[in-house]
Amino acid sequence: MLARYVVRRVVASIPVVFGVTLITFGLLHATSGAFVPGLELNPNLRPEDIIRIRNNLGLNDPLPVQYWHWISGLLHGDFGRSLVDGSPVLRHISDRLPNTIELTITAILLGILISIPLGVVGALRRGSVIDNFFTFLSVAGVSIPSFWLALLLILLFSVSFHAWGLPWLPSGGAESAFGGGDPIDRITHLILPATCLAFVYIAIWSRFTRSSMLEVLSQDYVRTARAKGMSERRVTYLHALRNSLVPLVTLIGLELPGLVSGGAIIEIVFSWPGVGRLALERALQYDYTMVLGLTTFVALLVVVGNLLADVIYALLDPRIRYA
Amino acid sequence: MAVDQTTITQLEGTPVQYEGGLARPAQSYWSESWERLRGSHFGMFFGGVLVVLAVIAITAPLFSAFVTHLAPTSVNLNDSFAPFSRAHPLGTDELGRDTLTRLVYGARVSLGVGFLTVAIYLLIGGSVGISAGFYGGWWDDLLMRFVDILLAIPTIYLLIMITSMLPLPIGPIIIRHDAFSLSTIIAITVWGTVARLVRGEVLTVKNRDFILATRSIGASNLRLMLRHLLPNVLPVMIVAASLGVGQIILLEAALDFIGLGVQPPTASWGNMLLNAQSYFYHSTSLVILPGICIVLAVLSANIFGNAVRDAFDPRLK
Repeated sequence: MLARYVVRRVVASIPVVFGVTLITFGLLHATSGAFVPGLELNPNLRPEDIIRIRNNLGLNDPLPVQYWHWISGLLHGDFGRSLVDGSPVLRHISDRLPNTIELTITAILLGILISIPLGVVGALRRGSVIDNFFTFLSVAGVSIPSFWLALLLILLFSVSFHAWGLPWLPSGGAESAFGGGDPIDRITHLILPATCLAFVYIAIWSRFTRSSMLEVLSQDYVRTARAKGMSERRVTYLHALRNSLVPLVTLIGLELPGLVSGGAIIEIVFSWPGVGRLALERALQYDYTMVLGLTTFVALLVVVGNLLADVIYALLDPRIRYA
Repeated sequence: MAVDQTTITQLEGTPVQYEGGLARPAQSYWSESWERLRGSHFGMFFGGVLVVLAVIAITAPLFSAFVTHLAPTSVNLNDSFAPFSRAHPLGTDELGRDTLTRLVYGARVSLGVGFLTVAIYLLIGGSVGISAGFYGGWWDDLLMRFVDILLAIPTIYLLIMITSMLPLPIGPIIIRHDAFSLSTIIAITVWGTVARLVRGEVLTVKNRDFILATRSIGASNLRLMLRHLLPNVLPVMIVAASLGVGQIILLEAALDFIGLGVQPPTASWGNMLLNAQSYFYHSTSLVILPGICIVLAVLSANIFGNAVRDAFDPRLK
């Protein structure tokens, strides 16, 4: 039954994948046309050279033919080549993707580790000063621009700590330019961006844990457990907490599609060498083929992420796969 | 043909008066919701903050002419990184431009884009959702698959892709990095979720008897959609809009911050922060102030939005 469900979901996502390529390709040609950066401005090229180069690049073919060339490349795992340096897009992706995944996974783990205790404390001490403070924190958390929080952290932990002669944290990159690359160096570079990215997750998930915990605490089985004479600690952590975390799994699953694209802005602020940063750098250099390749790649990952999340839900909840 | 034209009031007759009971007048959805919203003092307070910000944004030229006596782009290199003073209440930036004036002008961009974008995406999402839900069949499939596709492409990549190509001539219009074009571009990339919500709501409403009754007396499809379906899906749209403004302000500020939104010398909170990034050692207030403005606007929009949602969401009654 599960196999059939998976096959059905995979088949249903094929038109989405096709549509994504159609939109990204169409958008690229609607906005950039057949522009090649710097080609017309190069004084070493004669007009006939320019025509020859454009012909060789296939820019004078009809649009459907160009699309066909591009998508048949995609089907063979070729995301095209950069317009600026001629290197394959896929090589850049494989360089940058591990960094992006490292950042997002760290942030999600941090988010889970911090938000669950916050939510539990909020629920157990409902209405207390601590609870109100956490509530305020989470409303503020979704209202603070992540890039501004990033600037504030840099201002405090990099600029001011450095000025005060304290041990300071690096504000950009994934490792030091000279003599970097060992695990400790990488972790110190990871602290600030991961904290920033985790902040939003904490704001949302702690609220969710709190309300889920409150709901579970009012259930009959919790009262039964208490009536049996079970200690409050056991009731809370063994019965209530475990059950209140089930909906949270769903919520965290929703982040699966955003694993690669979610941290793009944070990558840009911290010069984190990830896919998002790459997309912006190349967009500013008018490297259209690279931006096209990256956007398509990330969108495909979103489709795969959605698919994975659906399959995981189907595994957890039999009602879905029999629907 | 003599049909007895009984008026509605005759049919209703006199309202039954229960003995000792208080006659509570029937209330419309709107007045009831408005009463609930007014009852939420916290929400109304932040609604007020939002109104104050909007008034400041609208009257920015007056503010610049009569309060600070400086234009947002007037440069004075002798006065760069000035501290807070009577002439410059919030100091100046690296070119000696008055920070307070620039912040006030920045409010125009952020709030303008925030509200305009939400209006545009409600219009697109609402029309698509209503027509998809109403007609159903292949039209519904087509539109909803399109929404699936649009939502699969991460918004920030889509925005980087489009905005890095500006300025872009489309026929006689040139699309630039101005607030109006940015609103349209952002709206075009984010209307999908609203369309889904509205369609879902239309599907539950369209099989109800009153729609059949209206159709049987010869109402056209357009009339059915605009006069009968739209008012019924409006609550869902209000809920979607209430939490949208804050998110859009954040998104637009982020776009300015990465250099693809409103371009200098036009002041916006996002591009002021981008600029401040280069002057960490010169001035911390340049880094802090625009951020506080963004947080204030987004926080007000979110808290007021929450109150609006609680008041208007029919499911939360």
